[in-house]
Amino acid sequence: MRETLTHMAEQPDNPPRHGPNGTATTSDPDAELGAGWISAATALSPGAWVILALAVLSTALILILPGRQEATIEMWTFTRAHALMYEPEIERWNEEHAEAGADAHILILNAPALQQRMLAGFLADTPVADLIEAERKIAGQAFAGPLDQVGFVDLTDWLRDEGLLDDINPPSFGPWTSRGRIFGLPHDVHPVMLCYRADIVEAAGIDVSLIETWSDFERIMAPLMEDRDGDGEADHRLLALQEGYGDQIELLTLQAGGRYFDEQGVPSINSPEIARVLAQITMWCTGPNPIAAHAPDFQAAGNQVKKRGEVVAWFAPDWMCYLIRSEIPELHGKLKLMPLPAWDPGGRRTSVWGGTMLGISRSSPDREQALALAQRLYLSEELAETLYRTGDIITPIRSHWDNPMYDEPDPFYSGQRKGRMYIDLAPEVPSRTNSPYFSIAVLRVQDASIQLAEWARGASEPPGRAALEERAMVLLNDAQAAVMRHLNRNVFLAPEQEDAE
Amino acid sequence: MKHRHAIMMTCIYVTLGVGAVITFLPFLWMFTSSFRTNAGFFDTYFLPVDADENIAWSQLTFTHYHKLLFELGFGRAILNSIFLSSVTSVIATLFAAMAGYALARFQFRGRGFALFVVLAMLIVPAPLLLAPTYQLMYDLGLIDTYHALILPAAAPAFGVFLFRQATLSSVPSQLLEAARIDGCGEFRIFFTMALPLLRPMIGAFLLITFLWSWNNFIGPQVMLQDVDRFPLAVAVGNLKGLYYQDYGLQMAGTLISILPVMLLFLMLQRDFISGLTAGAVKG
Repeated sequence: MRETLTHMAEQPDNPPRHGPNGTATTSDPDAELGAGWISAATALSPGAWVILALAVLSTALILILPGRQEATIEMWTFTRAHALMYEPEIERWNEEHAEAGADAHILILNAPALQQRMLAGFLADTPVADLIEAERKIAGQAFAGPLDQVGFVDLTDWLRDEGLLDDINPPSFGPWTSRGRIFGLPHDVHPVMLCYRADIVEAAGIDVSLIETWSDFERIMAPLMEDRDGDGEADHRLLALQEGYGDQIELLTLQAGGRYFDEQGVPSINSPEIARVLAQITMWCTGPNPIAAHAPDFQAAGNQVKKRGEVVAWFAPDWMCYLIRSEIPELHGKLKLMPLPAWDPGGRRTSVWGGTMLGISRSSPDREQALALAQRLYLSEELAETLYRTGDIITPIRSHWDNPMYDEPDPFYSGQRKGRMYIDLAPEVPSRTNSPYFSIAVLRVQDASIQLAEWARGASEPPGRAALEERAMVLLNDAQAAVMRHLNRNVFLAPEQEDAE
Repeated sequence: MKHRHAIMMTCIYVTLGVGAVITFLPFLWMFTSSFRTNAGFFDTYFLPVDADENIAWSQLTFTHYHKLLFELGFGRAILNSIFLSSVTSVIATLFAAMAGYALARFQFRGRGFALFVVLAMLIVPAPLLLAPTYQLMYDLGLIDTYHALILPAAAPAFGVFLFRQATLSSVPSQLLEAARIDGCGEFRIFFTMALPLLRPMIGAFLLITFLWSWNNFIGPQVMLQDVDRFPLAVAVGNLKGLYYQDYGLQMAGTLISILPVMLLFLMLQRDFISGLTAGAVKG
């Protein structure tokens, strides 16, 4: 091509002629123009033409196809399972309110995207949904400012007036409460039990009804740790647990009576309860014959460890029942649930893991409609049934707990009436607090736990409980100081500021 | 000698064959996984087997594809991806070629500074520009529109510099001077003389920008609000749950998202390679 053009430009028998302004022109302008544009067309290879054609066609389609009309109520959620559950109800809502022009719509966003958009909407007035379904760590981010400027509508008074403060299981409000005000409708309770391989445990002649405390658990289950197959390793580990798994550390902390923040949002990390939990986790995970096994939840590797029976028991909030059912169907009829062993005799036999809320944006143009739809989605018995039947999750609405569905035996869990078992534990669920710095606190405590375990592994003799608790307290003091540093930068939440007021 | 050559070629082909198989295996896994349900998903590597160790055909399902295309709106996401990628690549290539050509062949005040700015932009990581771009689009009222993705990508610094270099090496000044003497206008010179000479670079850059735009996840994730405007990258990202994962659905979504661009690459690979190697043999 280059040679052709160069040749064209240097053609001796195509002499230039001068136009009226003295510039050189070609002998046949029209023909030259056509030839020029043909040569321009050759600038594109067949593949480039394909992309150009795609651009033209797709532009035409985008212009022709109608876009979705702006919804009158927009809802964001972070999980497809919830969206699928709500969609039929939202369709019914739209039909019932068709005359008023209702067009509610649900949008699924992955969790980090939802968090970023929510915060951008709350802090910088970018477009934000009317209803936001947020997981605990996401929702906590919204509580960073003054109470009257939290992006969610304060529902406390409305909940009280409607009698919902009594009808909803009180601990379920904790994660959505900041400085005494409630900013979301709770979706769940999420009590935690211990799921165990009943086939293995019962074959060993172990009676789990004798287990009341974690000490009992270790002692009574100990025969399973024997090396009967002679491979030099314990045949089974007793508990799926990692010293660096923040969620597990937190649920054990809550069960032991500790928590990361008090009601006023001040960190309470360096507490004897958390030191005790970290020391116990270290003892379970380290030493010559640890009872804990690495069987990560939500991962194929962990599922395989559970399926092969290399680990006998794991923490099971209600939602975990569905995950196990769908991801390890081979365990059908081989599992049972039992309340968590307590830290002390007579102590709490459950904990809590996870949680979701539905909040109404303060910027919503029609808060009343948004609230009405929120009630429909979160308070109806019909959706409570769907929630349990499709996700094994029990509703926090106590008046729905009489539903006979919860008493149905579940063949997957060896015929246990697991719904009722979880409901029986629901009132015992520890109350939680939330903070914009919750995720930081989880990471700091997690770091402390890892450091403690490393310290124990590096010791010449396995350290005793007292030494571990002492060391844990040193590490937790550092963690507390680190979280306080973050908190003190926030003029609205720093304890000093509040004192000054 | 011939024998030695045959051995060497055999070694080369065996090595390449092994590499090809290793490269192909994840795609095969993804393909087979897209027809599987979560039940026993990780029990076998590729296809489910029954108790007799035979392939359990009954456990394979098309539901993931049906769900993606007819329930989850992946058809619209495919259209959005094609639209955004093709339009962005055409516009970016045109403007980059124009700017590169101007920087290479025109003398004008501020040319050195413009070139400096282009070069400086090359060292700024793209994620760093996300927040100011969002602010700019927000101020312009373009959030949640396709423009918010197309406009910032309309004249990429990398493309401008690439076309400048290509113009310097492929478009002789004498040719342009001759055209001007013949009375040719600047636009006509560019379109009818310079562009044909830049053909290898055009093909390569079209494909580069198309792929970049196709794979762009963070841009649409930040700029777009309406699910009807989401491209495939975001739609696939939304298939991931916080706790529960539908692996088969995710694999089907991923396969749908890479298939069109894979086909396009197969069609355009000659352009791509010739564009990338165009400068390699020039003195």
